[in-house]
Amino acid sequence: MTTTTHGSFIIERRYDASAQRVFAAWSDPKARRSWFAKGEGWDIRSYELDFREGGGETSSFRIVGGDVPFPPETTFRNDTVFNEIVPNERIVFTYSMARDGVRFSISLASVELTPAGAGTRLVFTEHGAFFDGADGIQMRERGWQELLGRLGAFLAEGA
Amino acid sequence: MTKRSTTHATFVIEREYRTAPARVFAAFSDLKNKSKWFGGPEGWAVASAHKLDFRVGGKESVSGGPPGGTVHSYNATFWDIVENERIVSAYEMHLDKVRISVSLATTEIKASGAGARLIYTEQGVYLDGYDDAGQREQGTNELFDKLEAFLSGKGAP
Repeated sequence: MTTTTHGSFIIERRYDASAQRVFAAWSDPKARRSWFAKGEGWDIRSYELDFREGGGETSSFRIVGGDVPFPPETTFRNDTVFNEIVPNERIVFTYSMARDGVRFSISLASVELTPAGAGTRLVFTEHGAFFDGADGIQMRERGWQELLGRLGAFLAEGA
Repeated sequence: MTKRSTTHATFVIEREYRTAPARVFAAFSDLKNKSKWFGGPEGWAVASAHKLDFRVGGKESVSGGPPGGTVHSYNATFWDIVENERIVSAYEMHLDKVRISVSLATTEIKASGAGARLIYTEQGVYLDGYDDAGQREQGTNELFDKLEAFLSGKGAP
């Protein structure tokens, strides 16, 4: 018998960068990869980005050690489809995550950018369906907190 | 620049059917069945015929509206399917060319006594004020009324 758990979370960040620069960090493959597909203890096995409505992103990465709550060699795969892209303002996408070939979540996420003073306010909202008892949504929120922190570091480096 | 806005909302609808989970599932998985209950209100004209490619990564689409009026388009992609138990899809609604929402829809089917319980969870982002979760929940309830009539009535499989 399958079980499914639903949850949602919202993360807000403010970056000292224009909406154009924040958007480019999502849309430009090189920029995106440098904060999204990078991390200590992860070995990125493949990464492809086709940033357009109806296009997608796929990545797979393997744990090679470090401070992560999974055994070494665990392999994750992300498949994303971009539903809506409004340059410099909004991105809506759906994605699945699989662990060692088993799909464990499907999510709908939106990224909203609005000017805030000399910088940009980013609101990330995710709705997820998590399968078979994964402690899904809390771990996912922590994951995005970390990613959005790395995005901030990336934007600060390039300033 | 258009003023953008988004509203996020979740709703859950539960229904009990006096029929086996496999028959409820087949009402979603088979185009011949699904097109009998899934579509616009009586009197709407079809703009593009109902298509269903029921597999993970496959798509479903149908569009229509009042004759001469706004065309409502439904475009879904299936993300997860467990036979007789679960269907997860993401779907977009358009009014003419305008995308008004993107939703994650989970349909769970569980054995319940001699019948089946359907639990439908929709998590959605409604764009630029064209629609909201209340209207969507009402529309979805109307669809499940039609599903119920289909499952209990003539013409059922």
